[in-house]
Amino acid sequence: MTAARDAAPDAGDAQHCVTPQSIRSESINAGAPAGAEIALFLDGAAFGYTGTARVERLTLEVPAGAAVALIGPNGSGKSTLLRGILGLADLTAGSVRVLGETPDRARKRIGSLPQADTRDATLPITLRQVVTMGLYRSRGALRPIGRAGRGAVADALERVGLSAWASHRFGELSGGQQQRGILARALVSDPQLLLLDEPFNGLDRENRDVLLRLVRELRAEGRTIIVSTHDLEIAQEACSHALLLASGHHPNQPGHPAAFGSVDEALTLDAVQHAFQDTTVELDHHTVTTTRETE
Amino acid sequence: MTPSVLAPVLHFVQAGPLEIFALPFMWRALLTVAILAIAAGVVGLFISFRELEFVSDGLVHSVFPGLVVGSVIGGSAGLLPGALVAAILAAVLFTLIEHRGGVGADAAIAVVLTGLFSLGVVLVSKQEGYVSELSELLFGRLLTVTETQLWQIFVVAIVAVAIIGFTWRAQLFRSFDAAGAQAAGFRVLRSDLALAIAVALLVVAGVQALGVLMVIALLTVPMAASRLLTRGFALLIPVAILLPLGAGIAGLWLSFEWSTSLGATVSPGAVVVLLLVTVYVLAALIRTARAALRKRRAA
Repeated sequence: MTAARDAAPDAGDAQHCVTPQSIRSESINAGAPAGAEIALFLDGAAFGYTGTARVERLTLEVPAGAAVALIGPNGSGKSTLLRGILGLADLTAGSVRVLGETPDRARKRIGSLPQADTRDATLPITLRQVVTMGLYRSRGALRPIGRAGRGAVADALERVGLSAWASHRFGELSGGQQQRGILARALVSDPQLLLLDEPFNGLDRENRDVLLRLVRELRAEGRTIIVSTHDLEIAQEACSHALLLASGHHPNQPGHPAAFGSVDEALTLDAVQHAFQDTTVELDHHTVTTTRETE
Repeated sequence: MTPSVLAPVLHFVQAGPLEIFALPFMWRALLTVAILAIAAGVVGLFISFRELEFVSDGLVHSVFPGLVVGSVIGGSAGLLPGALVAAILAAVLFTLIEHRGGVGADAAIAVVLTGLFSLGVVLVSKQEGYVSELSELLFGRLLTVTETQLWQIFVVAIVAVAIIGFTWRAQLFRSFDAAGAQAAGFRVLRSDLALAIAVALLVVAGVQALGVLMVIALLTVPMAASRLLTRGFALLIPVAILLPLGAGIAGLWLSFEWSTSLGATVSPGAVVVLLLVTVYVLAALIRTARAALRKRRAA
């Protein structure tokens, strides 16, 4: 993305700049070649809880192998969308297909890294035990993990660079190591789609770089990745696409997409301004303070 | 401590407890404690991991009216079915209240448990000679466990352990990371119901022997002490089994000796629980001393 894009878009840019109005009415195919496999298909989808939508008007297609940065302020519905893809949030409108199936059926092919605050790091369990949990579903209640399973756990730990920490208590690892450990848990079942919810929150530079490298590697292997973040820089460094979500004008209004497309297309000042209101945003090394839109 | 109180200790050193536990009622009591210790060691792991001590206490209180109704309808044979029905109903109710969430969840559980406990007291106080009955229900009758009751306790405890065994992976995953377990396809409500029912069954198994007020100690104290004493996951359950087993042997023997040599009637369940709590306090002191030592070495 160039600094020129920060300026008001010219006629040429207008083609790529996805305005909130166009998002509401059009289905967006984010550069997937004709006939390419679609990892995620949303058609007028809205997700929420107990019948109330938290994020709505989602119409888009994510091609297999894409890495999508899910960007938006708090309350815009990022986590709800990720839970909706997993079938854990209610689909209150529209339709959704994940890896060609319903979310419930696709779940076994999805790896997930939930937000860090859902874990109890005080439990006296080792990192190896945590990563092994990623195999529990496929093994059922009683089938032993076996040699193959133990091998998969060792491979996943090696992949995230934590083999030496396998026998350490999970709670004794640093925040970054814990995140990488949970990523290993998501990878151990060899998923086709990875959903990462705010994985970069609170990470130091070193762990952030390791995680970014892993996201790039996983994408290069052909896995589809959807990663929620507040950090536009992460989207630019590791993702092929970006979905910008904006909060509703009132606290109880559901979030909605502000832009979706390739990173360069979606991360325009217009779209960022629509998504983040009254926020200081760094975009292409420019710091911009967005203003609140009026209805 | 007076010399007469020390007499059983001297006797223990000289003769050992083996001859005491050869008595049928004593070995039945010991076997009861052993069964409950093993089952509580397994189920207690997840009570501790999920911090369900308060809910477990609620279950214990809710079992009380079930015991009373069972006793009124079928005498001592009605205790187990009565407790079983009340415990499972309360387990399901508490789990659903917890899942509904919101600010009122804890208050709702508190209302239900105190309400049911009061109902039990009202029901039992309508019986003739209710004071002794109340005392037995509250403090148990470890030394008068019959062979039939022992079998009942064994079967109910086995079912509780089997429930945890079959849902072990789901329980561990859910205890560590509820959102991750859900994302992996585990049904959290189902796991929670399974755990609540296992706890309820263990309460039912233990309540006849240890009483309503004592059984909660067996469910929570051994694992709490074990977590203080051990760092590794693998040792948590063995230690949590051995502690109440040791406390059970010592407690039964002490209460027997005090009854025979001093003529003092001491509730064996209460002595076992007291010893268990002493072990916990010692474990906490050891943990604090270890931490202080490490800090000193590091400084």
